[in-house]
Amino acid sequence: MTHAPILAIVLMVFGAFLTPVVGISARKLGLKRAREYFVIALMLAELALVLSMFKQVWGGQVLTYKLGGWQPPWGIALAVDGLNMFVAMVVAGMGLLVAVYSYVYMERDTGLDQFYTLFFLTMGGMMGVTLTGDIFNLYVFFEIMCISSYALVAFRRKWDSIEAGLKYMIVSSFGTSFILLGIAFLYGQAGSLNIADLIQKLEGISSSNLIVPLSLFVAGFGIKIAMVPLHMWMPDAYQAAPSAMAALFSGATATVGIYAMIRVVYILFGAFAIGITFATLGLVTMVLGALMALAQRDLKRLLAYSGISQIGYILLGIGLGTVLGVQGGLFHLFNNAIYKTMLFMIAGAIVYRVGTSDMDQLGGLWKNMPVTGTLFAVGALAISGVPPFNGFASKWTIYVAGIEAGRPVFTIIALITSALTLAYFLKALNSIFLGQRPKHLSDVKETPLPMMFPIMLLAVLCVVFGVLPQLGIDLVRPAQEAVMNSSGYISAVLGGA
Amino acid sequence: MNYIIAMLLITLGFYCLLIKRNLIKLIIGLSVMTDGIHLFLISMGYREGGIAPIAFGEWLKPPGFAARAVDPIPQALVLTSIVINICILALALSLTIFAYRHYGTTNLSKLKRLKE
Repeated sequence: MTHAPILAIVLMVFGAFLTPVVGISARKLGLKRAREYFVIALMLAELALVLSMFKQVWGGQVLTYKLGGWQPPWGIALAVDGLNMFVAMVVAGMGLLVAVYSYVYMERDTGLDQFYTLFFLTMGGMMGVTLTGDIFNLYVFFEIMCISSYALVAFRRKWDSIEAGLKYMIVSSFGTSFILLGIAFLYGQAGSLNIADLIQKLEGISSSNLIVPLSLFVAGFGIKIAMVPLHMWMPDAYQAAPSAMAALFSGATATVGIYAMIRVVYILFGAFAIGITFATLGLVTMVLGALMALAQRDLKRLLAYSGISQIGYILLGIGLGTVLGVQGGLFHLFNNAIYKTMLFMIAGAIVYRVGTSDMDQLGGLWKNMPVTGTLFAVGALAISGVPPFNGFASKWTIYVAGIEAGRPVFTIIALITSALTLAYFLKALNSIFLGQRPKHLSDVKETPLPMMFPIMLLAVLCVVFGVLPQLGIDLVRPAQEAVMNSSGYISAVLGGA
Repeated sequence: MNYIIAMLLITLGFYCLLIKRNLIKLIIGLSVMTDGIHLFLISMGYREGGIAPIAFGEWLKPPGFAARAVDPIPQALVLTSIVINICILALALSLTIFAYRHYGTTNLSKLKRLKE
């Protein structure tokens, strides 16, 4: 399918406009839950579209799609190489699972037409950022993604969601205006907006002129991925957002943020020298995130801080800049999307059944929710990097890469942080599922099956990629090659007929 | 001249976002900052005595269209960006209204119940 790249974006944006129509007509006709089935069907179609590009891209081809038939660099082009493909798969897959999960999780809320509209807009924005080959187009889709996620954080309009939404919005709009300023500087110096064309033109510009736009981009995307010291908004936002959306943000949106960072800093600017800054910031991020997570009493807030800590690992891997480091970083990005989404879904399941995620009020839930408890244990062990699970495989790759790159200190700090991760997850496991059960929790039921299904699927993925790490490495190799070598990308976008 | 004013606006907006704690002032600062960026972008494509970038009739004769027309791309970018900025502004103001209803204040440093 030659039109697959643009269809993947259009389908989501179109879905956003169709959802209220479907919702209203379903109510008129008396069809129950037609809207939810529509959403899930659309997400399935999206995943199928993304996977239809899989074979060609994995064969080393770079798919390009010229909007309106304009030859790049004049028109807007979509370009899909190994890296885009990898991220698009994560986004579409997590989107589908979150849609399935929301089927039950959101049923008690009102205003679901708006909820799914915003959900589709976020998905459309993420797909757009992922697939586009034009820097300004990337900015526009980034804004679509951000604005709909502000609205999703504030969706329930209670005091906590409003507070978190406002903070998130002000910090993040600050970041996106930095990105716009960076694009303005780039356009002023190179006179182009197409990424492939910019890569070529930037080679002729002295690097001292590029420091300002580069730092603007790093700050802008750094806010979105919650890199320390730009992380303040994230715990608030993830705590207050509906858990299904927190799962989507931590799994898919963080992945897209890191993708944009890699695409602009490594591929566009070719600034591999900045990697050491990334690695150092990554270390600070992971240690600080883990220490803050230790002190949390709310499960969702704890998960948000642990998400910050995991972002640190990814930055460390990517910042090392070696083949193994980038592979480890991208593999960890993939694994992080899997278990972070899963843990947020479990937190949502607890909120759904008990009504709170405050760990002081929970306890002894293993008797009521044995399956959920087991799945939480799987997720907790995977995220702390215990051997039979996927977190171990990717963290191990990063450790080895750290030693190979001649920086054993980084590896040691990462190892210690891993132990800290295990500590706070055991604490969470202990205070939620083990210990004394408060009286009022004695008739809590097991998580409903439609909610359990995506969690189980993710848990299976955790084990599969833990037992067969080579599978994961094979999955990220084309992405890693796309990061390290952009010549194929340039010639495919600019040269192709 | 334009560049100086643009940079001044960006710096003012930046300052306002960092120092002020009132939500309304923060939102004003944000829009001043983006307007500065817009001015910066649009001045890049400006040309003294330039013509509108529509290739038509006599404009195509020498000294050439490209030598006389202003650059259309920054204009397109600014137009898009203004629309995006309106979305942010509308959402931010409506959230501020809700925040005022819940907290009775527009002071951002008093909105910290989540941390407790």
